Amino acid sequence: MDALRMSGRKFSWPPKISKMGPRQRVNFRIGMLFLLPWTIGFLAFTLYPMIASLVYSFSIYHSKQPLEWVGLQNYATLLTDDLFWKSLANTVYLVAIGVPLTLLASFFCAVLLNLKVRGQSFYRVIYFLPSIVPTVASTILWLWILNPNTGILNTLLAHLGISGPNWMSNPDWSKPGLILLGMWGMGGTIVIYLSGLQDVPISLLEAAELDGASWWQRLWNITIPMVSPITLFNLITGVIGMFQYFAQAYVFRGSHGLGYPLNSTLFYSVYLYQNGFLWLKMGYASAMAWVLFIIILICTLLLLKVSDRFTYYAG
Amino acid sequence: MTINIPAQYPRLRTETDEESRRRVRIRKVRNFFKSLFSHTAINIIGLFFLMPFLWMVVTAFKSDQDVFHTPPRWLPYDNLRVEVNGQQLPLYNVITPEGVKQLAAVKIVEGIGTFVDPANSNQTFQYDIQQGATIIAEPIMHVSFRWQNFIDAMERGSRPGIGVSFWVYFKNSLVVAFFSIVGTLVSNTPVAYAFARLKFPGRDILFVLILSTMMLPIQVTIIPIYLFFNDILHWGNSFLPLIIPTFFANAYDVFLLRQFFRTIPEEMCDAARVDGASEWQIFTQIVLPLSVPVLATVTVFTFLWAWNDFTGPLLFLTSPSNFTMALGLQDFQSQRTMIWNQLMAASVVFTVPIIVAFFFAQKTFIQGIKLTGSKE
Repeated sequence: MDALRMSGRKFSWPPKISKMGPRQRVNFRIGMLFLLPWTIGFLAFTLYPMIASLVYSFSIYHSKQPLEWVGLQNYATLLTDDLFWKSLANTVYLVAIGVPLTLLASFFCAVLLNLKVRGQSFYRVIYFLPSIVPTVASTILWLWILNPNTGILNTLLAHLGISGPNWMSNPDWSKPGLILLGMWGMGGTIVIYLSGLQDVPISLLEAAELDGASWWQRLWNITIPMVSPITLFNLITGVIGMFQYFAQAYVFRGSHGLGYPLNSTLFYSVYLYQNGFLWLKMGYASAMAWVLFIIILICTLLLLKVSDRFTYYAG
Repeated sequence: MTINIPAQYPRLRTETDEESRRRVRIRKVRNFFKSLFSHTAINIIGLFFLMPFLWMVVTAFKSDQDVFHTPPRWLPYDNLRVEVNGQQLPLYNVITPEGVKQLAAVKIVEGIGTFVDPANSNQTFQYDIQQGATIIAEPIMHVSFRWQNFIDAMERGSRPGIGVSFWVYFKNSLVVAFFSIVGTLVSNTPVAYAFARLKFPGRDILFVLILSTMMLPIQVTIIPIYLFFNDILHWGNSFLPLIIPTFFANAYDVFLLRQFFRTIPEEMCDAARVDGASEWQIFTQIVLPLSVPVLATVTVFTFLWAWNDFTGPLLFLTSPSNFTMALGLQDFQSQRTMIWNQLMAASVVFTVPIIVAFFFAQKTFIQGIKLTGSKE
């Protein structure tokens, strides 16, 4: 959050070299030399591509043919593109259900792992390990687990008397399946929550206990407010990540077409990939990218704004 | 100093023995249930994390016959085999007119099996495998870990007839990861040093700029980058588009390294400055040697990222001889033939380097997550 704190200050760029003293001028040169790798990278891999994709988004562009300026046409087409809305709705599903569910579950796991239980460090490793399994491997593994006939999940459910759904080919169940896969790999979020829980002052919890506060009251009135900045951080990174959800959905369809079944896993980035790299509609895909950027920006700002009321910063 | 305790303060009333015993008993019962609940919860949720992991490993060791066995079994089973005339043949329990016999199957064609008695291998018998609903010949299975799956999985390609094996994918992944690590270390450290320890006009606004690039979704830049590498530099289907960008620093690693560099005492750098050391000398001879822990973190995370990356290889690598493990595994899986035991074996091989890295650098892992995680 350094960026936010700094953004209040006044900046002027470029600094006027003519107004610098000799010492400052030398420092400036040395500084810029050290920054050289990033400066080149920023120009080549951030600034230029941003401008280029903005230009593409106002054009019809099929990579090999020359660019044809069409103004806002791509954006207008987006509004009437059913698949665009479908992909947006699918993504919002993940963001609105997957992210809060994952946050809640990882907070709960972190609370459990923070209890004094024998073999605590062993449990921490077990909870964390799935998060470092490579995405492609974990997605294929879950395809195998969610296999409707021979998968272990439906077998387990059958033991409990529940007939498990057809996870991969039923459009109502493909997204819950993906959320389950995501929750299996939430170890990173758990670790961040755990470090936050360890920072909650014990004196505060003990004082509350002496005053007769129950476990639940302590959790609700002390722990949860104290880790609220971490919740905000996890929420924002979770939302940004979910809007860009791609690799899992790409692998999850197996040998079927993108979005299988029935476009239920056609997420925003998947549809963008399809447009840009399979159908070579680079201009249209660029317009989608910029709309995504604006959506992410608005969501982030909205979360920051709303969170002011719910976030407690100690000290 | 005397403390005036109000006489009516309830705790001060002396408890009778029975009351105190009762209180202790209630607390004990409550603690018991609390600990019962927490142990149960931590174990049940632990199973959710552990079981898929075990299932991956177990499936990797299963024989083809056992993969689709219903209900699924938690140990890998394979045919019990005997050697008959120099051949390994599967043993069957066969119901014969003379009772149940253990016979080795030579071949099974159209429901009729040809068997030999392992003890007397000159004579062959023919039996129907199944008569109506009763199974006449049933294979004898035993617990057996099929290591051959790993060899089979790694020596095949992701699709038939491409002439490259998973070993090539494995090597490609290593090459990409290695050069990504080199690039990341070489390019991010000087940038982070400048932001941490150099004072020059315009530094802070540049730092805000670099942090703000974290917000930019990759989708916005990837199309022009793709066209740039493919159509202008003609680097398509090579590792260069994956490796070269790592040589130009990125916001996450700059931030991580800068946070660490700032903890190195400034007096050390100042002392060197007084002695006439240049900034480059201070950077390479004082700051870098003191930063081994954070350099390890960056190395581990870059390895993790490069090893895991799917989108980059998907966009840029087109011929199978250049596939990385991630791309190869996806390609293998998408080829309709669902050979789950080999798929899982390849997945295990893909995952093992990361698990090994984790157990060697457990602290580094957790530290890195915390450093990038709690950056408010």
